[in-house]
Amino acid sequence: MSENTIGKKSLDWVDKRFPVIDLFERHLSKYYSPSNINIWYLFGFLLLIVLVMQILTGLWLMMNYTNTAEGAFSSIEYIMRDVDYGWLIRYMHAGGASAFFALIYLHMFRGMMYGSYQKPRELIWVGGWFVYVLLCAEGFTGYVLPWGQMSFWAAQVIISLVGSIPYFGEDLAIWIRGDYIVSGITLSRLFAFHVVLLPILIIAVVFFHILALHEIGSNNPDGIDVKKHTDQDGVPLDAKPFFPYDITHDFYALGVFLLIFCTVIFFFPEGGGYIIEYVNYEPANPLSTPAHIVPSWYYTPFYAMLRAIDFPLFGLTAKFLGFVVMAAGIAIFAALPWLDRSPVKSIKYKGIFSKVFLAGFVISFFVLAYLGSVPPTETKNMLAKVFTFLYFAYFLLMPFYTRFEKCKPVPERVGDTA
Amino acid sequence: MQTCPRACWRYSLKTLFYLTIITSSFFIFSAGEYRCGSMECDYFEADVSDKASLQRGLSTYMNYCYGCHSLKYSRYKRVAEDLLIPLEMYENNLIFDGSKIGELMEISLTKEDAINWLGAYPPDLTLEARLRRPDWIYTYLRNYYPDSSRPYGVNNRVYQNVNMPHVLEDMQNNLSESQYDQVIYDLTNFMTYVADPSAEQRKRIGTYVLLFLIIFTAFAYMTYREFKKDLK
Repeated sequence: MSENTIGKKSLDWVDKRFPVIDLFERHLSKYYSPSNINIWYLFGFLLLIVLVMQILTGLWLMMNYTNTAEGAFSSIEYIMRDVDYGWLIRYMHAGGASAFFALIYLHMFRGMMYGSYQKPRELIWVGGWFVYVLLCAEGFTGYVLPWGQMSFWAAQVIISLVGSIPYFGEDLAIWIRGDYIVSGITLSRLFAFHVVLLPILIIAVVFFHILALHEIGSNNPDGIDVKKHTDQDGVPLDAKPFFPYDITHDFYALGVFLLIFCTVIFFFPEGGGYIIEYVNYEPANPLSTPAHIVPSWYYTPFYAMLRAIDFPLFGLTAKFLGFVVMAAGIAIFAALPWLDRSPVKSIKYKGIFSKVFLAGFVISFFVLAYLGSVPPTETKNMLAKVFTFLYFAYFLLMPFYTRFEKCKPVPERVGDTA
Repeated sequence: MQTCPRACWRYSLKTLFYLTIITSSFFIFSAGEYRCGSMECDYFEADVSDKASLQRGLSTYMNYCYGCHSLKYSRYKRVAEDLLIPLEMYENNLIFDGSKIGELMEISLTKEDAINWLGAYPPDLTLEARLRRPDWIYTYLRNYYPDSSRPYGVNNRVYQNVNMPHVLEDMQNNLSESQYDQVIYDLTNFMTYVADPSAEQRKRIGTYVLLFLIIFTAFAYMTYREFKKDLK
């Protein structure tokens, strides 16, 4: 690039006015990631791709969607039948929502497994947690929009939880719905949240999440600080530049992900009723309640917690307590950096208690997911209580078991055996 | 006797952990209770590429069901085109109320009349095969039985005390069992098609998309492997 070509000239022109080269180097070609990161580190990139896909498909859906109680249901069928490739865009968006949650759960589990939330990455973790909370809201508001039976009744159940708050709950629920029951007024405000407010917040917090990550750099499966050992130019020895080494890995992962994703959306777009519920093919009817009201699969662990609390306590209703436990189940992730007192980051070097409790957490998450998706029975309710307890035990006992268990020594550098 | 070293213990624990997760995820996808009322659903596999079957199903639908059950999210023209029926032939034989061929398949029965005459408003059936699943429809239509306690003298094993009379009763009485099953198969097949008219196009495009992605992934993998060599 020593010659004075047109390309070089225009790059210079732009670079004097906007730091393109600096940005490229800082975030790609001279942004270093540990040399020992594994497949658990691919989900962040995939999540970003899914976010872009959701925004684009959402934009196209919005062009033909009607946000009224009278028109919403048939506008979805209009998209599915009369809009060119409308079915494809809609299946991408519905399947994308499930993919988003599947990937974010894997991404979060990676952080929990390798202690990525620990010092100095607390803000990256809390930012990511906030993205997850926003995504839950985005998923819920989006789920209401097709205005099928499950859309309506899920909205009815979830908003009525707010009504369980003592003293002002009922008034608050009416204020949120804009009506005494979920209605077209509720639908159009949830639509506004879904397409404007929440996406803007999600993009903003994701930007913050990545900016914070690029300041500190990725953790790794060994929890080694790779910035400690550098060459004379300050380049970390146990690391590689993101561009081209990680980006090529990420594109390979993207290919594998898209193979799975496209198999689902082209051949099993309803995902056996887990991506698009069958009951939702009946238009919303406030006069007929479906036999079982179940949330989407990605909320079922928390729904099981809500139902597990079936007893009033200290003068508070069971419904309100269930709501509090459910909210706490989501909120408690944010506290992880301060609950973990372990001197080591990765599960590889933590003691036996950390391993047992993390395994207990994962098992309880799966069992609760199952329990939240089936009609409750007495035995199942008992199980839900036990596993809700186990779920919270992972978090609440962490300050104790991480401090007292015996950890293994962490190697000084990648590839060393300590 | 061989003992199990640390690594072996760690390996067994890990295996046990993943096995628990896999088995519990199986539970998530398994369902209990009968989906077809008092019985198991009969086996039904749609074949929406069988245009002759879809055409026969459409003709049964238009002649026996359409008086009460609209297909209001679908358009006449789309059905005609997808089922390879010439538009003129379709207009002359399968549009009864002078609708234009591009219009939605709505019926003239009003809600008030239906409630006066039948006691209920017959639901639109465009999406019935997605709502209740095709095997449910197939089983339901083949499980009417005489029951003098009901207003129309019939009841149903799949849908207890259903309001709908057995519209196909004459047909069932005049045809052999296998002929009647074929009529219901074609009708259910048509309803499966009309619930999801893009299914064929979707699968065709999907095949090309997957072929492209296999090639894309192969090249992406080779690029990744090539760069990985630098890092040794």
